[in-house]
Amino acid sequence: MDQSRFKQFMERIERGEKIEANDWMPDDYRRLLLRLIHMHAVSEIMGAYPEKEWVPKAPSLRRKLSLMAKVQDEIGHGQLLLRVAEDLAAPLGRGRDDLMEDVIVGRVKFHNVFHMEAPSWADAGIIGWLVDGAAIMTQTALLDCSYGPYARVLKRICAEESFHMQHGESIILALAEGTEAQRQMLQEALNRWWEALLFFFGPPEVTESARKMMEYRIRYRTNEELRQKFLTRYIPRIQSVGLTIPDSRLRFDEAQQRWMYTEPDWERLGRMVRENSGPKSQERIAFRRRAHTDQAWVREALIRARAQAAV
Amino acid sequence: MQEKTRSQPQVAELHAGTRYEVYEIFVQHDALQSHHHVGSVWAASPEWAIQMARENFLRRDHAVSLWAVRRADIHATAGEDRDFFAREFDRTYREVSGYADNAQRWKRFKARAMTLDEVIDDVREGNAHGSAHSGG
Ligand SMILES: [Fe+2]
Ligand SMILES: [Fe+2]
Repeated sequence: MDQSRFKQFMERIERGEKIEANDWMPDDYRRLLLRLIHMHAVSEIMGAYPEKEWVPKAPSLRRKLSLMAKVQDEIGHGQLLLRVAEDLAAPLGRGRDDLMEDVIVGRVKFHNVFHMEAPSWADAGIIGWLVDGAAIMTQTALLDCSYGPYARVLKRICAEESFHMQHGESIILALAEGTEAQRQMLQEALNRWWEALLFFFGPPEVTESARKMMEYRIRYRTNEELRQKFLTRYIPRIQSVGLTIPDSRLRFDEAQQRWMYTEPDWERLGRMVRENSGPKSQERIAFRRRAHTDQAWVREALIRARAQAAV
Repeated sequence: MQEKTRSQPQVAELHAGTRYEVYEIFVQHDALQSHHHVGSVWAASPEWAIQMARENFLRRDHAVSLWAVRRADIHATAGEDRDFFAREFDRTYREVSGYADNAQRWKRFKARAMTLDEVIDDVREGNAHGSAHSGG
Protein backbone atom coordinates (compact mmCIF):
# COMPACT_ATOMS: atom_id res chain seq x y z
CA MET A 1 0.00 0.00 0.00
CA ASP A 2 2.58 2.55 1.16
CA GLN A 3 4.95 0.95 -1.30
CA SER A 4 2.70 1.79 -4.24
CA ARG A 5 2.17 5.33 -2.95
CA PHE A 6 5.91 5.70 -2.69
CA LYS A 7 6.30 4.48 -6.25
CA GLN A 8 3.67 6.95 -7.49
CA PHE A 9 5.39 9.74 -5.57
CA MET A 10 8.77 8.96 -7.12
CA GLU A 11 7.18 8.83 -10.56
CA ARG A 12 5.69 12.27 -10.04
CA ILE A 13 9.06 13.63 -8.99
CA GLU A 14 10.81 12.03 -11.92
CA ARG A 15 8.25 13.55 -14.31
CA GLY A 16 9.31 16.92 -12.87
CA GLU A 17 5.99 17.52 -11.10
CA LYS A 18 5.93 19.72 -8.01
CA ILE A 19 4.78 18.29 -4.69
CA GLU A 20 2.34 20.45 -2.72
CA ALA A 21 1.80 20.75 1.04
CA ASN A 22 -1.28 18.52 1.16
CA ASP A 23 0.00 15.83 -1.21
CA TRP A 24 1.10 12.48 0.14
CA MET A 25 4.85 12.41 0.72
CA PRO A 26 7.27 9.94 2.34
CA ASP A 27 8.10 10.73 5.91
CA ASP A 28 11.79 11.26 5.25
CA TYR A 29 11.00 13.65 2.36
CA ARG A 30 8.99 15.76 4.81
CA ARG A 31 11.68 15.62 7.49
CA LEU A 32 14.56 16.43 5.16
CA LEU A 33 12.68 19.39 3.71
CA LEU A 34 11.57 20.60 7.11
CA ARG A 35 15.12 20.50 8.47
CA LEU A 36 16.45 22.33 5.42
CA ILE A 37 13.76 25.02 5.32
CA HIS A 38 13.70 25.51 9.09
CA MET A 39 17.45 26.10 9.11
CA HIS A 40 17.13 28.36 6.07
CA ALA A 41 14.40 30.44 7.76
CA VAL A 42 16.32 30.77 11.01
CA SER A 43 19.52 31.68 9.14
CA GLU A 44 17.67 34.51 7.38
CA ILE A 45 16.55 35.90 10.72
CA MET A 46 19.86 35.41 12.54
CA GLY A 47 21.62 36.67 9.39
CA ALA A 48 19.94 40.03 9.76
CA TYR A 49 21.68 40.59 13.12
CA PRO A 50 25.28 41.29 12.06
CA GLU A 51 23.98 43.81 9.52
CA LYS A 52 21.41 45.29 11.86
CA GLU A 53 24.31 46.08 14.19
CA TRP A 54 25.65 48.40 11.47
CA VAL A 55 22.44 50.36 10.82
CA PRO A 56 23.13 53.02 13.49
CA LYS A 57 26.76 53.29 12.41
CA ALA A 58 26.35 53.37 8.62
CA PRO A 59 28.43 56.19 7.09
CA SER A 60 25.61 58.03 5.28
CA LEU A 61 21.84 58.32 5.25
CA ARG A 62 21.62 56.50 1.95
CA ARG A 63 23.73 53.60 3.26
CA LYS A 64 21.56 53.53 6.36
CA LEU A 65 18.39 53.34 4.27
CA SER A 66 19.66 50.60 2.00
CA LEU A 67 21.01 48.57 4.91
CA MET A 68 17.68 48.87 6.71
CA ALA A 69 15.89 47.79 3.55
CA LYS A 70 18.14 44.75 3.33
CA VAL A 71 17.60 43.85 6.99
CA GLN A 72 13.84 44.07 6.41
CA ASP A 73 14.17 41.80 3.39
CA GLU A 74 16.08 39.18 5.38
CA ILE A 75 13.50 39.14 8.16
CA GLY A 76 10.80 38.98 5.46
CA HIS A 77 12.56 35.97 3.90
CA GLY A 78 12.56 34.36 7.33
CA GLN A 79 8.80 34.89 7.64
CA LEU A 80 7.99 33.50 4.20
CA LEU A 81 10.16 30.45 4.86
CA LEU A 82 8.64 29.90 8.29
CA ARG A 83 5.21 29.68 6.63
CA VAL A 84 6.53 26.95 4.33
CA ALA A 85 8.14 25.13 7.25
CA GLU A 86 4.96 25.39 9.34
CA ASP A 87 2.85 23.66 6.70
CA LEU A 88 5.38 20.82 6.62
CA ALA A 89 5.55 20.66 10.41
CA ALA A 90 1.78 20.73 11.00
CA PRO A 91 1.25 16.96 10.55
CA LEU A 92 4.05 16.44 13.08
CA GLY A 93 2.13 18.58 15.56
CA ARG A 94 4.56 21.49 15.51
CA GLY A 95 3.83 25.16 14.79
CA ARG A 96 5.41 28.61 14.64
CA ASP A 97 6.10 28.77 18.38
CA ASP A 98 7.96 25.48 18.36
CA LEU A 99 10.01 26.47 15.33
CA MET A 100 10.98 29.79 16.92
CA GLU A 101 11.59 28.28 20.34
CA ASP A 102 14.07 25.92 18.72
CA VAL A 103 16.30 28.94 18.03
CA ILE A 104 16.24 30.17 21.59
CA VAL A 105 17.09 26.80 23.11
CA GLY A 106 19.62 25.92 20.40
CA ARG A 107 17.69 23.00 18.84
CA VAL A 108 18.11 24.36 15.31
CA LYS A 109 21.36 25.38 13.69
CA PHE A 110 22.01 28.49 11.67
CA HIS A 111 24.73 29.21 9.13
CA ASN A 112 28.30 29.57 10.40
CA VAL A 113 28.71 33.04 8.92
CA PHE A 114 26.10 34.50 11.28
CA HIS A 115 28.03 33.45 14.38
CA MET A 116 30.86 35.77 13.42
CA GLU A 117 31.80 39.30 14.33
CA ALA A 118 31.43 42.22 11.93
CA PRO A 119 33.80 44.73 13.55
CA SER A 120 34.20 47.24 10.68
CA TRP A 121 32.04 48.85 7.99
CA ALA A 122 34.00 46.79 5.47
CA ASP A 123 32.63 43.67 7.18
CA ALA A 124 29.11 44.92 6.44
CA GLY A 125 30.24 45.32 2.83
CA ILE A 126 31.81 41.84 2.66
CA ILE A 127 28.64 40.32 4.13
CA GLY A 128 26.46 41.99 1.50
CA TRP A 129 28.87 41.14 -1.29
CA LEU A 130 30.25 37.68 -0.52
CA VAL A 131 28.01 36.14 2.16
CA ASP A 132 24.94 37.10 0.16
CA GLY A 133 26.85 36.05 -2.96
CA ALA A 134 27.41 32.59 -1.49
CA ALA A 135 23.81 32.42 -0.25
CA ILE A 136 22.59 33.36 -3.73
CA MET A 137 24.50 30.40 -5.18
CA THR A 138 22.92 27.94 -2.74
CA GLN A 139 19.46 29.44 -3.10
CA THR A 140 19.42 29.51 -6.89
CA ALA A 141 20.53 25.86 -6.78
CA LEU A 142 17.26 25.13 -4.96
CA LEU A 143 14.97 27.00 -7.39
CA ASP A 144 14.11 23.74 -9.17
CA CYS A 145 13.28 21.98 -5.90
CA SER A 146 10.59 19.31 -6.21
CA TYR A 147 8.60 20.91 -3.37
CA GLY A 148 6.38 23.59 -4.93
CA PRO A 149 5.84 25.91 -1.95
CA TYR A 150 9.60 26.17 -1.31
CA ALA A 151 10.39 26.73 -5.00
CA ARG A 152 7.83 29.55 -5.19
CA VAL A 153 9.14 31.33 -2.11
CA LEU A 154 12.71 30.98 -3.37
CA LYS A 155 11.71 32.71 -6.59
CA ARG A 156 10.54 35.72 -4.62
CA ILE A 157 13.62 35.64 -2.37
CA CYS A 158 16.03 35.47 -5.31
CA ALA A 159 14.36 38.48 -6.92
CA GLU A 160 15.15 40.49 -3.78
CA GLU A 161 18.65 39.07 -3.54
CA SER A 162 19.46 40.84 -6.78
CA PHE A 163 19.17 44.08 -4.81
CA HIS A 164 21.36 42.66 -2.02
CA MET A 165 23.99 41.83 -4.60
CA GLN A 166 24.13 45.42 -5.91
CA HIS A 167 23.98 46.82 -2.39
CA GLY A 168 27.02 44.78 -1.28
CA GLU A 169 28.99 45.59 -4.42
CA SER A 170 28.24 49.28 -4.01
CA ILE A 171 29.74 49.30 -0.48
CA ILE A 172 32.91 47.41 -1.35
CA LEU A 173 33.43 49.38 -4.57
CA ALA A 174 33.33 52.63 -2.60
CA LEU A 175 35.97 51.26 -0.22
CA ALA A 176 38.09 49.84 -3.04
CA GLU A 177 38.04 53.24 -4.77
CA GLY A 178 38.86 54.96 -1.48
CA THR A 179 41.92 55.78 0.56
CA GLU A 180 44.73 53.41 1.49
CA ALA A 181 43.16 53.01 4.94
CA GLN A 182 39.81 52.06 3.40
CA ARG A 183 41.41 49.49 1.12
CA GLN A 184 43.30 48.13 4.10
CA MET A 185 40.06 47.83 6.07
CA LEU A 186 38.49 45.94 3.15
CA GLN A 187 41.44 43.55 2.93
CA GLU A 188 41.27 42.85 6.67
CA ALA A 189 37.56 42.12 6.44
CA LEU A 190 38.16 39.69 3.56
CA ASN A 191 40.87 37.97 5.64
CA ARG A 192 38.36 37.52 8.46
CA TRP A 193 35.62 36.08 6.23
CA TRP A 194 37.41 33.91 3.69
CA GLU A 195 37.58 30.67 5.67
CA ALA A 196 33.97 31.05 6.82
CA LEU A 197 32.86 31.57 3.21
CA LEU A 198 34.46 28.30 2.13
CA PHE A 199 32.87 26.53 5.10
CA PHE A 200 29.45 28.00 4.25
CA PHE A 201 28.91 25.51 1.39
CA GLY A 202 29.40 22.52 3.67
CA PRO A 203 31.79 19.57 3.61
CA PRO A 204 32.95 18.23 0.23
CA GLU A 205 31.83 14.67 0.92
CA VAL A 206 28.27 13.81 -0.09
CA THR A 207 26.51 12.83 3.12
CA GLU A 208 23.68 10.33 3.31
CA SER A 209 21.06 13.06 3.67
CA ALA A 210 22.57 15.09 0.80
CA ARG A 211 22.35 11.99 -1.38
CA LYS A 212 18.72 11.47 -0.34
CA MET A 213 17.91 15.10 -1.13
CA MET A 214 19.29 14.67 -4.63
CA GLU A 215 17.29 11.49 -5.11
CA TYR A 216 14.16 13.40 -4.10
CA ARG A 217 15.16 16.27 -6.35
CA ILE A 218 15.13 18.67 -3.45
CA ARG A 219 18.57 19.73 -4.63
CA TYR A 220 20.68 18.68 -7.55
CA ARG A 221 24.12 20.12 -6.87
CA THR A 222 26.70 18.93 -4.36
CA ASN A 223 28.33 21.26 -1.84
CA GLU A 224 31.61 21.07 -3.73
CA GLU A 225 29.99 21.91 -7.08
CA LEU A 226 28.50 25.05 -5.56
CA ARG A 227 31.74 26.04 -3.84
CA GLN A 228 33.59 25.65 -7.15
CA LYS A 229 31.01 27.79 -8.94
CA PHE A 230 31.32 30.43 -6.26
CA LEU A 231 35.12 30.45 -6.57
CA THR A 232 35.01 30.66 -10.36
CA ARG A 233 32.61 33.56 -10.23
CA TYR A 234 34.11 35.56 -7.37
CA ILE A 235 37.88 35.02 -7.38
CA PRO A 236 38.45 37.17 -10.48
CA ARG A 237 36.19 39.91 -9.10
CA ILE A 238 37.90 39.89 -5.70
CA GLN A 239 41.28 40.17 -7.40
CA SER A 240 40.14 42.82 -9.84
CA VAL A 241 39.53 45.32 -7.02
CA GLY A 242 43.09 44.78 -5.79
CA LEU A 243 42.33 42.41 -2.91
CA THR A 244 44.49 39.42 -2.06
CA ILE A 245 42.76 36.17 -1.17
CA PRO A 246 44.29 34.94 2.09
CA ASP A 247 45.20 31.48 0.83
CA SER A 248 48.68 30.94 -0.63
CA ARG A 249 47.67 27.48 -1.89
CA LEU A 250 44.74 28.75 -3.93
CA ARG A 251 45.10 27.90 -7.64
CA PHE A 252 43.08 26.62 -10.55
CA ASP A 253 44.10 23.13 -11.59
CA GLU A 254 43.77 22.96 -15.37
CA ALA A 255 43.95 19.17 -15.52
CA GLN A 256 41.14 18.67 -13.00
CA GLN A 257 39.32 21.84 -14.04
CA ARG A 258 38.79 22.79 -10.44
CA TRP A 259 40.01 25.19 -7.78
CA MET A 260 42.44 23.85 -5.22
CA TYR A 261 42.25 25.62 -1.87
CA THR A 262 43.27 25.25 1.75
CA GLU A 263 40.38 23.47 3.45
CA PRO A 264 38.61 25.41 6.17
CA ASP A 265 38.91 23.96 9.66
CA TRP A 266 35.81 21.74 9.38
CA GLU A 267 36.12 20.50 12.93
CA ARG A 268 36.46 23.90 14.64
CA LEU A 269 33.81 25.71 12.59
CA GLY A 270 31.47 22.71 12.71
CA ARG A 271 31.66 22.71 16.48
CA MET A 272 30.97 26.44 16.57
CA VAL A 273 27.71 25.90 14.65
CA ARG A 274 26.66 22.80 16.63
CA GLU A 275 27.38 24.32 20.03
CA ASN A 276 26.59 27.94 19.22
CA SER A 277 30.05 28.80 20.49
CA GLY A 278 31.10 31.41 17.90
CA PRO A 279 32.21 34.89 18.97
CA LYS A 280 28.69 36.29 18.54
CA SER A 281 26.46 33.19 18.83
CA GLN A 282 25.29 33.64 22.39
CA GLU A 283 24.86 37.40 22.17
CA ARG A 284 22.64 37.12 19.09
CA ILE A 285 20.62 34.22 20.46
CA ALA A 286 20.08 36.22 23.66
CA PHE A 287 18.92 39.14 21.54
CA ARG A 288 16.45 36.88 19.73
CA ARG A 289 15.23 35.47 23.05
CA ARG A 290 14.69 38.98 24.40
CA ALA A 291 12.79 40.03 21.27
CA HIS A 292 10.63 36.92 21.60
CA THR A 293 9.74 37.33 25.27
CA ASP A 294 9.55 41.13 25.29
CA GLN A 295 7.02 41.07 22.46
CA ALA A 296 4.91 38.27 23.93
CA TRP A 297 2.46 40.86 25.29
CA VAL A 298 1.93 42.23 21.75
CA ARG A 299 1.04 38.80 20.41
CA GLU A 300 -1.28 38.35 23.35
CA ALA A 301 -2.88 41.78 22.87
CA LEU A 302 -3.61 41.04 19.22
CA ILE A 303 -5.53 37.93 20.16
CA ARG A 304 -7.37 39.62 23.03
CA ALA A 305 -8.33 42.52 20.79
CA ARG A 306 -9.84 40.12 18.33
CA ALA A 307 -11.64 38.12 21.00
CA GLN A 308 -13.10 41.36 22.34
CA ALA A 309 -14.16 42.57 18.91
CA ALA A 310 -15.98 39.29 18.42
CA VAL A 311 -18.09 39.75 21.56
CA MET B 1 12.11 42.28 39.64
CA GLN B 2 8.48 41.77 40.60
CA GLU B 3 7.69 41.95 36.89
CA LYS B 4 10.05 39.09 36.07
CA THR B 5 8.40 36.57 38.37
CA ARG B 6 4.91 37.13 36.99
CA SER B 7 4.44 34.20 34.65
CA GLN B 8 4.59 35.19 31.02
CA PRO B 9 1.68 33.73 29.09
CA GLN B 10 3.09 31.27 26.57
CA VAL B 11 2.09 31.95 22.99
CA ALA B 12 1.26 28.27 22.61
CA GLU B 13 -1.32 28.62 25.38
CA LEU B 14 -2.66 31.80 23.90
CA HIS B 15 -3.74 30.24 20.72
CA ALA B 16 -4.93 27.04 22.22
CA GLY B 17 -8.19 28.34 20.69
CA THR B 18 -6.05 28.73 17.53
CA ARG B 19 -6.86 32.32 16.86
CA TYR B 20 -3.65 32.81 15.02
CA GLU B 21 -4.48 31.50 11.59
CA VAL B 22 -3.06 31.13 8.13
CA TYR B 23 -4.35 33.70 5.64
CA GLU B 24 -3.72 33.30 1.93
CA ILE B 25 -2.76 36.59 0.29
CA PHE B 26 -3.87 37.87 -3.12
CA VAL B 27 -2.47 41.02 -4.70
CA GLN B 28 -3.85 43.11 -7.54
CA HIS B 29 -1.04 45.09 -9.10
CA ASP B 30 -3.14 47.34 -11.29
CA ALA B 31 -6.79 47.78 -12.14
CA LEU B 32 -6.57 45.75 -15.35
CA GLN B 33 -5.05 42.71 -13.67
CA SER B 34 -6.87 40.16 -11.59
CA HIS B 35 -5.80 39.46 -8.04
CA HIS B 36 -3.22 36.74 -7.93
CA HIS B 37 -1.96 34.54 -5.14
CA VAL B 38 1.44 35.51 -3.73
CA GLY B 39 1.77 33.45 -0.55
CA SER B 40 0.48 33.32 2.99
CA VAL B 41 0.91 34.90 6.41
CA TRP B 42 0.18 33.82 9.96
CA ALA B 43 -1.86 36.42 11.79
CA ALA B 44 -4.15 37.05 14.72
CA SER B 45 -6.92 38.68 12.68
CA PRO B 46 -7.83 39.55 9.08
CA GLU B 47 -6.77 43.16 9.68
CA TRP B 48 -3.34 42.07 10.86
CA ALA B 49 -3.07 39.59 8.02
CA ILE B 50 -3.42 42.55 5.64
CA GLN B 51 -0.79 44.55 7.53
CA MET B 52 1.59 41.60 7.55
CA ALA B 53 0.94 41.00 3.87
CA ARG B 54 1.87 44.59 3.03
CA GLU B 55 5.13 44.21 4.95
CA ASN B 56 5.92 40.84 3.41
CA PHE B 57 4.83 41.24 -0.20
CA LEU B 58 4.68 44.96 -1.00
CA ARG B 59 8.03 46.32 0.15
CA ARG B 60 8.74 47.16 -3.50
CA ASP B 61 5.83 46.16 -5.72
CA HIS B 62 3.01 48.58 -6.33
CA ALA B 63 -0.51 47.39 -5.77
CA VAL B 64 -4.04 48.72 -5.84
CA SER B 65 -5.74 46.03 -3.82
CA LEU B 66 -4.89 43.24 -1.42
CA TRP B 67 -7.04 40.32 -0.25
CA ALA B 68 -6.48 38.15 2.80
CA VAL B 69 -8.54 34.97 2.81
CA ARG B 70 -8.65 32.52 5.71
CA ARG B 71 -7.11 29.36 4.38
CA ALA B 72 -9.90 27.37 6.01
CA ASP B 73 -12.43 29.18 3.77
CA ILE B 74 -10.84 28.14 0.50
CA HIS B 75 -12.37 25.34 -1.53
CA ALA B 76 -9.88 23.69 -3.84
CA THR B 77 -9.35 20.75 -6.14
CA ALA B 78 -7.58 17.79 -4.59
CA GLY B 79 -3.82 18.24 -4.91
CA GLU B 80 -3.08 15.10 -6.85
CA ASP B 81 -6.28 14.96 -8.91
CA ARG B 82 -4.82 15.02 -12.41
CA ASP B 83 -8.00 13.63 -13.99
CA PHE B 84 -9.96 16.77 -13.23
CA PHE B 85 -7.66 18.77 -15.47
CA ALA B 86 -7.17 16.11 -18.12
CA ARG B 87 -7.46 17.18 -21.76
CA GLU B 88 -9.07 14.14 -23.31
CA PHE B 89 -8.90 15.31 -26.90
CA ASP B 90 -7.36 17.92 -29.15
CA ARG B 91 -8.66 21.39 -28.38
CA THR B 92 -6.71 23.40 -30.90
CA TYR B 93 -10.03 24.25 -32.54
CA ARG B 94 -10.46 26.62 -29.56
CA GLU B 95 -7.12 28.31 -30.06
CA VAL B 96 -5.41 30.65 -32.49
CA SER B 97 -2.75 28.01 -33.13
CA GLY B 98 -5.41 25.76 -34.61
CA TYR B 99 -5.85 28.21 -37.53
CA ALA B 100 -2.24 28.74 -38.56
CA ASP B 101 -3.07 27.78 -42.15
CA ASN B 102 -5.26 30.88 -42.63
CA ALA B 103 -2.21 33.00 -43.39
CA GLN B 104 -1.20 30.84 -46.37
CA ARG B 105 -4.71 30.85 -47.69
CA TRP B 106 -5.07 34.64 -47.48
CA LYS B 107 -1.85 34.89 -49.44
CA ARG B 108 -3.50 33.08 -52.35
CA PHE B 109 -6.10 35.83 -52.39
CA LYS B 110 -3.28 38.42 -52.29
CA ALA B 111 -4.35 39.54 -48.80
CA ARG B 112 -2.62 39.49 -45.46
CA ALA B 113 -3.50 37.53 -42.37
CA MET B 114 -4.82 39.73 -39.59
CA THR B 115 -4.34 39.45 -35.82
CA LEU B 116 -6.36 40.77 -32.96
CA ASP B 117 -3.39 42.75 -31.65
CA GLU B 118 -3.31 44.70 -34.90
CA VAL B 119 -6.95 45.59 -34.48
CA ILE B 120 -6.37 46.72 -30.91
CA ASP B 121 -3.43 48.90 -31.93
CA ASP B 122 -5.50 50.38 -34.74
CA VAL B 123 -8.50 51.18 -32.60
CA ARG B 124 -6.33 52.60 -29.82
CA GLU B 125 -4.25 54.77 -32.09
CA GLY B 126 -4.50 58.39 -31.13
CA ASN B 127 -6.17 57.61 -27.83
CA ALA B 128 -3.91 59.14 -25.19
CA HIS B 129 -5.26 56.71 -22.57
CA GLY B 130 -4.62 53.50 -24.41
CA SER B 131 -2.07 53.73 -27.15
CA ALA B 132 1.62 54.31 -27.55
CA HIS B 133 0.83 56.79 -30.33
CA SER B 134 -0.28 60.14 -29.04
CA GLY B 135 -1.75 61.26 -32.34
CA GLY B 136 -0.06 63.38 -34.90
FE1 LIG C 1 17.81 36.47 2.37
FE1 LIG D 1 20.20 38.54 1.20
